[in-house]
Amino acid sequence: MIFVTLEHILTNISFSIISIVITIHFMNLLVYEIVGLRDSSEKGMIATFFSITGLLVSRWISSGHFPLSNLYESLIFLSCSFFIIHIISKKLNHKNDLSTITTPSTIFTQGFATSGLSTEMHQSAILVPALQSQWLMMHVSMMLLSYAALLCGSLLSIALLVITFRNNINFFCKSNNFLIRSFFFGEIKYLNEKRRSVFKNTSFLSFRNYYKYQLTQRLDYWSYRMISLGFTFLTIGILCGAVWANEAWGSYWSWDPKETWAFITWTIFAIYSHTRTNQSLQGTNSALIASIGFFIIWICYFGVNLLGIGLHSYGSFTLTSN
Amino acid sequence: MSPLNPAKTLGGGPIPRTLFSSLLQPTFKSPSSLFLSNGRIPHALRIASKLNTSQDSKSQALPDNNNKEKKRIVVFGPSPPVSEESNGVATNGEGKRAPAGVPLSGFFKRVPKRVLAALSNLPLAIGEMFTIAALMALGTVIDQGEAPDHYFQKYPEENPVFGFVTWRWVLGLGFDHMFTSPVFLCMLILLAASLMACTYTTQIPLVKVARRWSFMHSTEAIHKQEFAESLPRASIQDLGIILMGAGYEVFVKGPSLYAFKGMAGRFAPIGVHLAMLLIMAGGTLSATGSFRGSVTVPQGLNFVVGDVMSPNGSLSFPTQAFNTEVHVNRFYMDYYDSGEVSQFYTDISLFSLDGKEVMRKTIRVNDPLRYGGITIYQTDWGFSALQISKNGEGPFNLAMAPLQTNGDKKLFGTFLPIGNTDSPNVKGMYVSCFSLKPCSKQISRIE
Repeated sequence: MIFVTLEHILTNISFSIISIVITIHFMNLLVYEIVGLRDSSEKGMIATFFSITGLLVSRWISSGHFPLSNLYESLIFLSCSFFIIHIISKKLNHKNDLSTITTPSTIFTQGFATSGLSTEMHQSAILVPALQSQWLMMHVSMMLLSYAALLCGSLLSIALLVITFRNNINFFCKSNNFLIRSFFFGEIKYLNEKRRSVFKNTSFLSFRNYYKYQLTQRLDYWSYRMISLGFTFLTIGILCGAVWANEAWGSYWSWDPKETWAFITWTIFAIYSHTRTNQSLQGTNSALIASIGFFIIWICYFGVNLLGIGLHSYGSFTLTSN
Repeated sequence: MSPLNPAKTLGGGPIPRTLFSSLLQPTFKSPSSLFLSNGRIPHALRIASKLNTSQDSKSQALPDNNNKEKKRIVVFGPSPPVSEESNGVATNGEGKRAPAGVPLSGFFKRVPKRVLAALSNLPLAIGEMFTIAALMALGTVIDQGEAPDHYFQKYPEENPVFGFVTWRWVLGLGFDHMFTSPVFLCMLILLAASLMACTYTTQIPLVKVARRWSFMHSTEAIHKQEFAESLPRASIQDLGIILMGAGYEVFVKGPSLYAFKGMAGRFAPIGVHLAMLLIMAGGTLSATGSFRGSVTVPQGLNFVVGDVMSPNGSLSFPTQAFNTEVHVNRFYMDYYDSGEVSQFYTDISLFSLDGKEVMRKTIRVNDPLRYGGITIYQTDWGFSALQISKNGEGPFNLAMAPLQTNGDKKLFGTFLPIGNTDSPNVKGMYVSCFSLKPCSKQISRIE
């Protein structure tokens, strides 16, 4: 019983932290900026991460199997993976501007999973015979990590597209100066020192265009790296799944809807990688493909589960709450 | 473009290390480095640089680099064997080029060349991948493997879906068995051909070129590169040290320095392409030359392997192992405390033709039995018959039929007639079972 109460406590803690953090952010953005709470999102993220991990561990102990057997657990794991990616990108990229993508993803996934939309999913279910295998840990966790990385990369590409095609420059003047200044603080000084630019083929027209260009370049670069990482994980996950399928059902690939959509996701991101090799197709074309990939990942993850058919039907659920 | 003068911007003195590091590391600390790492050469950064040292040696503490052999040996160790390109061509990315060094003599060699070049075209490959993805998506939307009647009802001619999709489209194009249909298989074959062409024409020469360190010896050649910079007072040694610290592999030959990073990124696509070709080859082999079969065997009975297997394709040949007889010794299930199925097991013995037991194993869902190229999997379970003895008569064997199957929650039922079986209103007993656990949960009803 202790684990059930522990789970309840941790779930409530994480959800309330999320709500507080979102409220603070909305207040900062819309109403009034409280200076002392500026890094509240970071602290909130860390606290949420610990409570999510504690939740997963307690479910693991109480149910005896790795906590990845139904959709609720996989959503919690997904938000955990988002946080891992957030931490990795913070370590590699000292200015940490990717947190605008990873933080909301973590928060919203966690919020959706914990919300009252589908409470019957929350109980830990027993593992059906087909899932009782060591491959469960490897295959499903790899797939979820890959979904998290690919989703982050696709969101960055969507952000790139939005920024590229927004026509009002006022957007950059008004409320986001703070954001942009924090990106390029170190570079303004350098720019002042170098009178002549080293670009050959960019038009260095105006101050605002330069910042927008910098931002899009940065988004492009980071989305490429994220998607490459996610693509690697996706490949490993699909291969693990195929080997597991051979162990369990006798064939490596049985064109199950979930398998097929995972392969379609893989194909779309392979197309993305191919467009990056050729300079003429790079830029907004590849961002477009990554944006398509965003929707395909959601279809693969959620859409197929909604149908509830096929060999992967463990994650099926209905949206009506009882 | 006037060259940077480090002495002026950062107060002179010896080598401005910070300037170099911010210029050459692939981070976003400086504008130029944006382009250097912009993904044209994924994860690889190659700098072919030759630094012109100015003639006034008083501005730097180290002597000129122009013709000092010993500096190279001292700082960087033995120089690796290099073969230099005579015209200093540097590859800047994975552009598609004609295959290097193959003589184009003769018509017979030209046609395959053109075909190869056409097949290894990148937009074609992207188009193929899109088409395959779209076909696969269609394959999940359209129900697969149903009887034609199903399609007559679902895509009727009188009321076509989306205005034009009737059953003629679906059945004619083979979309009811999309993943083995000719359209899909043709696209896959085309993709395989593109993969092979691309690997042969582009990737393999790329390996050869990437392994040669192409030093450039003239300033003009360097300035023709997409990103080039002139640092007149810099020293090659320090640049080399900084690059090595940043993770590059550095080679120095005379006054030239060549550094690269991320060679693995060049070889990875080749590996992926080859792996995909292998997978496709394996899939083709198993699609044409394998056997499958499934059988439901009650506890205590046998079957011969060869009887239940049917060939998949035209190249399937049965093996000697097909003559083994499989005997089901026992079938049992494990349950959770809540009554749901935890696992189901079958204890199997294999007997050869002369009756000798060759293997015995208990199989369960994720743990099959492998013998002589044949693999036996546990996939499902059910009730086959109910034995009833009544008043010492019997036992009566009643076959059970599945009433409702929902994964592992199954319900089977049977009917035992009592009394006159010829009359139209036969009275009898219905029995339904859903669990192998003894007693307690059987439901029976008598009318």
